[in-house]
Amino acid sequence: MSVVALQWVALAACLLGAATRLPDIHRGRGRGVFTALVLLSVAVGLSLRPIYLAVDQLLGGVNLANLVIRMALYAVFVLLGLRMVAAFDAPRARKFILGPLGIAVLVATVGATVYFFVQSDLSYSSTGLGAFEDQEAVQHYSEVGRLYPGYVAACLVGPSLASVVNSGARFLHRLAGAFLALGFGTVTLFAALRLLGVELAAWNIILPFSAILCVVLGLCLIWLSRRRAAHSGGRSNLLAQ
Amino acid sequence: MMAVTAKAFQLWRSRIAPNDTVSDVCRTAGIKRSTLAQQLVRGKVSVGTVIAIARGYSEDPVQALAEFEGYRDLGSSLRPPTDAELVSQVSHIDILRLLVARSEDRERAGDTVELELAPFPHRNSLRAWVEAIDPGDLRQSLAARTGVARQNLSAQLTAGRLSPELAVEAARIAGVSLTSGLVVTGLLTPEEGGWPDRGRGRALWALTDIELVQLARDRLEILGKQLRKAELEDGHDQAIWENLG
Repeated sequence: MSVVALQWVALAACLLGAATRLPDIHRGRGRGVFTALVLLSVAVGLSLRPIYLAVDQLLGGVNLANLVIRMALYAVFVLLGLRMVAAFDAPRARKFILGPLGIAVLVATVGATVYFFVQSDLSYSSTGLGAFEDQEAVQHYSEVGRLYPGYVAACLVGPSLASVVNSGARFLHRLAGAFLALGFGTVTLFAALRLLGVELAAWNIILPFSAILCVVLGLCLIWLSRRRAAHSGGRSNLLAQ
Repeated sequence: MMAVTAKAFQLWRSRIAPNDTVSDVCRTAGIKRSTLAQQLVRGKVSVGTVIAIARGYSEDPVQALAEFEGYRDLGSSLRPPTDAELVSQVSHIDILRLLVARSEDRERAGDTVELELAPFPHRNSLRAWVEAIDPGDLRQSLAARTGVARQNLSAQLTAGRLSPELAVEAARIAGVSLTSGLVVTGLLTPEEGGWPDRGRGRALWALTDIELVQLARDRLEILGKQLRKAELEDGHDQAIWENLG
């Protein structure tokens, strides 16, 4: 499978994940994850050349669309971070993400992203800013973009793994936990490799997009388990079993 | 200690059903053909399969099993279950019902309180049975003699499962009737395993008031722990569904 195919598959997965949650939104549930999946769809969609070029033309042809990807991704990690720590009851991860350190990393990442974007000379639309890679500001822009996602993902690996090793948990939740842990672990690894300056070539695409697939799959499994539980009639009488 | 070998199984099968094909045997026993085929390919036929086939051909399941390696002493050691074993297979609800009946003094009043005991195995049958036959170090000896790790053993008991091999070996170590293990795992019916009809009711009845109260207390304590664990898991599920579902 070529890397572009992987990106299209990831986009389809995000859209599908968002679509399955659409009926629940009307009933006012699951807004956080739904919004995260929509924003993730935007970010993934804009990483594809035809979509990027079309959208960026509408935004003035100065690669504002790339800035949109970054901001959407940061928002995705804020939302997923909030939801994950609440779902897996992880006070330590919660402190790291919502505490002063987490906020500081978020503010620094957003600030640095905007700063290096403005510093870059981006005269025409180029997917992934590939045409401007030799500019130092563009390189920094790309590096700071991994900071906040990598930080949040690192915080979420532990809580996800904890749900896998909990032998009393539902099978679907353990499986979902495994995919989430794999996804966030991959994001963390990717961020670390980028910060260390390792030459990744095709893995620049493979790592983040397979991470997205894992996370979306994990979220879909949890959606499925809630569906099945709702069908079997909600809370059970534990004494009567 | 293993499931029976496919070779021994085939010998046995050709004796009890000399003219039947494998398909015929499965139909008579009411088991899936693919299940037996898979077991034969792996070279190990499960105890449950042997019992089902024996029943299908009106053979005594205990005598049938006793023809296989590892189960030879099954028939010769057939004894009635101990009172502790019988009581272990009474559900906590039936124990509480007797407790209430005695508290209301219905026994002394001359009423014959006929307690229709719920059929067993009940929800904690295996754990209760293992505790009833335990001479003190049963789990340790069982782990040592079968090579199954103690953690694994505990996990099986918690999940309400125990392989027939382990159940028979546990009975062997404890010195109780070997069929008991197969009865409490539900593989043999009480009648097949030599459990007397109404034996549980009699053994329960014979308990003194103190024994009955302590039994009820122990069972409720276990139930309480299970409920707490289940409720905790339920809370985890709700949190996951509400935030990520």
